[in-house]
Amino acid sequence: MEYFIQLVIEGLATGSIYGALALAIVLVNRATGLINFAQGGMAVLSTFVAYALFDAGAPLALAILGAIVFAFALGAVLERVIVRPFERGDPDTAVVVTIGLFVLLGGVAAFFFGYEPRQFPSFFGLETLNIAGVFVSLRSIGTIVVLALVVVLLQVLFRGTKLGLAMRAVADNPVSASLSGLPVSWLLMIGWGLASVLGVIAGVLVAPQLFVSPGMLDFVLVYALAAAILGGLDSPQGAVIAAWFIGVIENLAGAYIDIVGNDLKIAVPFVVMIIILIVRPQGLFGRKVVVRV
Amino acid sequence: MMNLRNASRIGGVVATGAIAALLITGCTREGDGDAGPAEASPGITDTTLSLGISSPLSGPTAGPGSCTVAGLYTYLEAGNAAGGFEFGDGNTRTVELTYLDDVYDPAKAVSNFRQLVDDGIFAYVGALGTPTNAAILPIANEDEIPQVLLVTGATMFSSDQETNPWTFGLLPTYYSEGFAFGELLAERGEVTVAVLSQNDDYGDDYVAGFEAAIEGTDVEVVASATYEPTDPTLDGQVTELAASGADALLSAVSVTPLQVGVLTKAQSLGWLPEIFLPSNTSTPATVVIPGNGAAYPAVYTTSLSKVPVSPTFAEDEDVIAFNEAFAEYGAEIAPTYTPHCAWSYAEGAILEQAFLGMTEPTRDSFMEALHSIEDFQAPLLLDGITVNTTDPTLPAIQGLNLVQFNGTGYGPVQ
Repeated sequence: MEYFIQLVIEGLATGSIYGALALAIVLVNRATGLINFAQGGMAVLSTFVAYALFDAGAPLALAILGAIVFAFALGAVLERVIVRPFERGDPDTAVVVTIGLFVLLGGVAAFFFGYEPRQFPSFFGLETLNIAGVFVSLRSIGTIVVLALVVVLLQVLFRGTKLGLAMRAVADNPVSASLSGLPVSWLLMIGWGLASVLGVIAGVLVAPQLFVSPGMLDFVLVYALAAAILGGLDSPQGAVIAAWFIGVIENLAGAYIDIVGNDLKIAVPFVVMIIILIVRPQGLFGRKVVVRV
Repeated sequence: MMNLRNASRIGGVVATGAIAALLITGCTREGDGDAGPAEASPGITDTTLSLGISSPLSGPTAGPGSCTVAGLYTYLEAGNAAGGFEFGDGNTRTVELTYLDDVYDPAKAVSNFRQLVDDGIFAYVGALGTPTNAAILPIANEDEIPQVLLVTGATMFSSDQETNPWTFGLLPTYYSEGFAFGELLAERGEVTVAVLSQNDDYGDDYVAGFEAAIEGTDVEVVASATYEPTDPTLDGQVTELAASGADALLSAVSVTPLQVGVLTKAQSLGWLPEIFLPSNTSTPATVVIPGNGAAYPAVYTTSLSKVPVSPTFAEDEDVIAFNEAFAEYGAEIAPTYTPHCAWSYAEGAILEQAFLGMTEPTRDSFMEALHSIEDFQAPLLLDGITVNTTDPTLPAIQGLNLVQFNGTGYGPVQ
């Protein structure tokens, strides 16, 4: 039983890594209506800024804060300068542009910092708690708590504030939003900035485990996209729950189903995901898109 | 006009003289040898030799990849600066190394190899990577281009000399590393072992060597797990293995952050086995110290080279020479030290031995000379680890020492 619980806990911790980035994907989607692959690149570059500040002697909290400011500016500037011309056009083109940005930002990070993986300290320390025979690291608890907090904050932002409402309006229908007097271009910049901030929070949360390197989020991004889609692209809590689900199912299937083992365990959550999406195309928590004719 | 005509006449005389001289020398040379001199292979003149290498210089394997270039480049450039390299045919040549980045991508490695060959390299030397070198292997052997002293521990690069006579490995195989670990445990008597291995040739070679060494002994593998190099974390695998409570963990993991993750995870679960690390993910500064290896009863790895950055070897002559030359030539290519820098430096010295034995400026002669080195103590290799190339089915360096982590670096097994 302890072994089972331990596997579940490990799954939740791994899932939290995916969930952190999935949240950022969901935020951009809600704020701009796009799936943004550049999210991974922005997160990596900003995490490098945190690393550089820390390396230069800044306290960890200050380094992370600096990186958050940088990330917001980076997201806003990228939206304004590079993505803006594509927003009015075909959404597919814009998505391809974000893929290009993803590669470009990874290259920029590599240019300045090289490819050697670098260590990054954990904000939560390295201690592990032994709760009735089950080991839980402070880092995992910290990651889970931060994720939960972010989900709550996002809900408050989108449901409870004027800014959030305006952002939703812009994502939903930029033309009508603009006609009703909303500063669409500012709102889009803010949306990208906030998403970039979420990205760096994800980056800093996972960096102690994955190390900081230009490719650190390449594979995480795949899981994160899967989680975002499984959870429903417009649902923050959906993304996080789906990410935990992927992490836990992967671990349990690998450990308990012999023919799955470690070789196939990665396939299991994706098979489950396909089945769920066939039944519920909008994802577990997503809203059905209804077009009024 | 007169002057010009005179000039042209003089020119004619000079030209005729030159042709006569050529004919004479031609005749004399022919009279000298039995079958005449062999035609020189591409990439070699009387004063120069050009070599090529493609290794990962960017991407996740850039650290080790850059070092495979930097150490070799250092050795060759230092030799060039000291007047060049002596060859067995009596000429002294400067050796040029052209290096390209393949990002550890087999397709890119193949196109780099073709480009280097088109540019006229004499031999392809010292490249890092099992999948990349495996992709080049059939082409090199088809075109009869030496693909030698490869920085990989896979057995395939030396084992089949019948099919692949132009390919030759540098390092002791992963199989021998696994075997050495197994031997150490076999001496202990009853021991339970958990095995974590990469799901490819790299991991399989380790496990095969280990299992061969423990066969028929009281050492028992009680749990095993595999992973993909692209997995973001191995916490799940470690948790599974920890449930076995094995006395020892063979962690055949080739990815640095994952190996650190294994070390931190096992201890956080209260599982403290003896740890066996592969030589390429056992660097104290980047793996064992970040992973708090000191928490375990023992951390073992294999070693074959002196560590230039370690105070233990600060007074060593090889190390002093290496450090000086590396600062001048190699440091720009590889900012961070990994053991690959030392290995590829030693590889430069092995090449120098082969040059000395090369009686003709041909690839055949080079391969023959390269396979005729006996008991050569290459610089930076630990005392007692020598280079023997006379059995072409084994890599150039076969010996390795087991070493144990002592809190800061590696020392003899306690």
